[in-house]
Amino acid sequence: MAGLELRNVAKSYGPVKVIEGINLSIGDGEFVALVGPSGCGKSTILRMIAGLEDITGGQIAIGSEVVNDLTPKERNIAMVFQSYALYPHMNVYRNMAFNLELAGKPKAEIDRRVREAARMLELEPLLDRKPSQLSGGQRQRVAMGRAVVRDPSVFLFDEPLSNLDAKLRVQMRSEIKALHKKVGVTSVYVTHDQVEAMTLADRVVVLDRGVIQQAGSPMELYREPANTFVAGFIGSPAMNLFQATIRGNTAQMADGTTFAFEPDGGASDGTAVTVGVRPEHFQRQKTDTALTGTVSFVEPTGGLTFVTLDVAGVPVVVTTNGEDMIRTGDSLTVYVPSKNVYVFDSGGRRVSRN
Amino acid sequence: MTDTAEPIDAATANSGGRSLRFGTKAYLYASLLIVAAIIIIPLITTALGGFKTLGELRGNAFGLPSTWMWSNYGDILMSHRYWLQMGNSLLIAGLTVFLVLALSAMAAFVFAHVRFFGSQFLLNYFLIGLMFPAATAILPLFIRIRDLGLLDTYWGVVLPQVAFGLGMSILLFRNYFRGLPSELFDAAFVDGAGYFRFFWHIALPLSRPIIATVGIISFVGSWNSYILPLIMLNTESRYPWPLGIMVYRGEFSTDWQLILAFITLTITPTIVVFFAAQKHIIAGLTAGAVK
Amino acid sequence: MSQIAPALEAAPTAVLHTRRRRGVRGKWPIIVLFLPPALVLFTLFVILPMGEAAWYSFYNWNGYGLPTEWIGFKNYELIFKQSAFRNALINNGLIIVVSICVQIPLALWLATMVTKSIKGAVVFRLIFFLPYVLADVAAGMIWRFVYDGEFGLVANIYEFFGQNAPFWLADKNVAFSAVLGVIVWKYFGFHMMLFIAGLQAIDKSVLEAADIDGATGWQKFFKVTLPLLGSTVRLSVFFAVVGSLQLFDMIMPLTGGGPSNSTQTLVTFLYSFGVMRMQVGFGSAVGVVLFVICVTLAFSYKRIFMRND
Repeated sequence: MAGLELRNVAKSYGPVKVIEGINLSIGDGEFVALVGPSGCGKSTILRMIAGLEDITGGQIAIGSEVVNDLTPKERNIAMVFQSYALYPHMNVYRNMAFNLELAGKPKAEIDRRVREAARMLELEPLLDRKPSQLSGGQRQRVAMGRAVVRDPSVFLFDEPLSNLDAKLRVQMRSEIKALHKKVGVTSVYVTHDQVEAMTLADRVVVLDRGVIQQAGSPMELYREPANTFVAGFIGSPAMNLFQATIRGNTAQMADGTTFAFEPDGGASDGTAVTVGVRPEHFQRQKTDTALTGTVSFVEPTGGLTFVTLDVAGVPVVVTTNGEDMIRTGDSLTVYVPSKNVYVFDSGGRRVSRN
Repeated sequence: MTDTAEPIDAATANSGGRSLRFGTKAYLYASLLIVAAIIIIPLITTALGGFKTLGELRGNAFGLPSTWMWSNYGDILMSHRYWLQMGNSLLIAGLTVFLVLALSAMAAFVFAHVRFFGSQFLLNYFLIGLMFPAATAILPLFIRIRDLGLLDTYWGVVLPQVAFGLGMSILLFRNYFRGLPSELFDAAFVDGAGYFRFFWHIALPLSRPIIATVGIISFVGSWNSYILPLIMLNTESRYPWPLGIMVYRGEFSTDWQLILAFITLTITPTIVVFFAAQKHIIAGLTAGAVK
Repeated sequence: MSQIAPALEAAPTAVLHTRRRRGVRGKWPIIVLFLPPALVLFTLFVILPMGEAAWYSFYNWNGYGLPTEWIGFKNYELIFKQSAFRNALINNGLIIVVSICVQIPLALWLATMVTKSIKGAVVFRLIFFLPYVLADVAAGMIWRFVYDGEFGLVANIYEFFGQNAPFWLADKNVAFSAVLGVIVWKYFGFHMMLFIAGLQAIDKSVLEAADIDGATGWQKFFKVTLPLLGSTVRLSVFFAVVGSLQLFDMIMPLTGGGPSNSTQTLVTFLYSFGVMRMQVGFGSAVGVVLFVICVTLAFSYKRIFMRND
């Protein structure tokens, strides 16, 4: 086992820069999720760590060893692919044993380790089956078994759950978490699903266009997004963002609504800013700032109901209790405490204290 | 088929992966160049040989000609026989392609879309044609053509060629027609179309890829074919070029420079068309194999 | 097998034909108009001649008038007594052996190289496929020149080393080996294209998984790629067999089956001994033998080796 260190890692295809100077230090046994929209470079980073992709700049180190020029097999990593990448012509047993066979391990040891991994992942009854005879969830577990069996220094997951249906995804999510708890191997997990990243990882790294936007614990990203991108990406439904102007210690929207917030320097009077409020931070009890609008859209989901308010032409999404009977056309006033008002400057950087 | 077509993150889909080591690259190019040389040298020396004198071929078959004998090529290009043979080949191949396309598309449409008693049996009947080459029945075929009075006519070559092409073409067309979305058929019927309109206005216009495939397979087959014309045609003025080349060689048996010029001129159209339409031709010729 | 070769999948699964369509008028007009042209032509020029071949094969007949001289299985006995026929059988077998042992490995090796991301890969593919689109007759003629012991490339090479050039095609011990060379030259490109299609159908991440599992290039090829190409290899062998049984056009300009029948194939044998001598009965019998071989091989191969594909 070992930590993982990315120092100024860059990737370009000819003149096109895909990844620009990534710095990231992952502790031994830590579970880190790389999350971002498709094309943000998260898979490329993972593949560079794996050695499936050339590194055009910077260094990657596993433990204390720089692995830039090592082949994938010399890096002692294991990877779970999006398409599982199981060998279609081998049964489950051989799929898991293949790496140990190639490494020339004695038969008895291979057998012991494969069976141990199979027991851990409840694959024992499936050992003789071919991948084509397995369900999606079972294939997923074999892919994990193949990674576990070899006792690697780093686990890499490339969107491993994106081919499963929603229910199975939730189940496999907790299995991956349990597995990590059991084996405690440093893990890097790539996904475009922020919920997956938040629930699984010790630390989440948000990427956009090949640049790290913010890295931190799930709650840090939620509570203190560094910029509008992270604010919009983390949380569901997404944070409401409005255009406003700074007036003293408040931000004022075009229609005159004024948001009280706690400034953190950098926003002087009269500058244009973006105000952000999470849908779940609106409340019905009177507090710092009030917003009144007409209900234009109601989406009940059961426990919670998402209501879209039309506030002077600006749509505002509000999360309300599912029990509240709210109908389209109703007039509704909601409140937000100033500690839950986010303000970002024209460059997208947060300038409020939350 | 279930787990090949998954979406892959955009970043990985077009990535080049790890670049190859210099040694690996050198080995690759060396091997490829050697094989390419073995392919190309016979072709190039043939073309160059056509510019030489016979005497020069004896000592300098590989190099450039010391004097370029343009007249070798010129005489052939000025001759009636070269153009006549090319024309014959074109005519025979054109007729073959047209008939194969028409007959197999119609029959395949019925097999794909019309349910009737015995359709499976009739389809299998056509597929028998896939199992043996025309050469197997060449003598009875000769007698049939003779008895029909078609000996020494273009039709004597075209009709058997078409008949032996039907099995594969019907299979390709039928599979393609059956792959068309079923909703199209439903929509057309709701709109009041019958089978004929559906065939003509919907199925055929959507079938361009398979028409191209079947067309290419039959054209190349006919353009290159030798044994059928050899047996069915007697008059030299009706010979397609593969027969013509053999006659030419018979006439100028040791004048290799002329034979080489003649070969070069006869295969030039093939090579030009191949490079101009390589994607379609390769797809066409291999599609027939893998389907 | 379902994962490896979408390109090789046969018929697209259809929903259309299974659905009963009610109220669609005019089913019979289209059957009556669309089916018979193909049916008549096919019956007249494929099925009937094959049946007639079986019938004529029991007669001694020169093709004029009606066959009257019934001689039973005499023609068949005669075939198997001919040493030229045995040569042809052996040669056809040799073509298959060379296809499997030389041509297919060569094609696969080249396919793995031209599917790598290197500059010019597409050009190499085109060049390698080029001989396949050339007419057999032209290829045969070109190689007759190459092999020519006086004016050809072989002659020039021998001369360069100060030796007297042999006439390979005129030497009955060497001629067929020379012919085999031309066959490989002409057809490997086609098999290479099959393998390219097969290789491209393999999920790239499976190979990456093998990388990570620590497989070397060779291990990756023999333990992952090759097993996944199984159906392509079987298809390739199938075409080699079928091609061998049809080989005629290329032999004629090269050797015409000589010297002393050493380069006969089944079809050139049929031509030289049936057609040239207008021995319709005998030639038909050869055709029947060829037919039986084709059908037996096609059926048994499909049944034994390709049943899962």
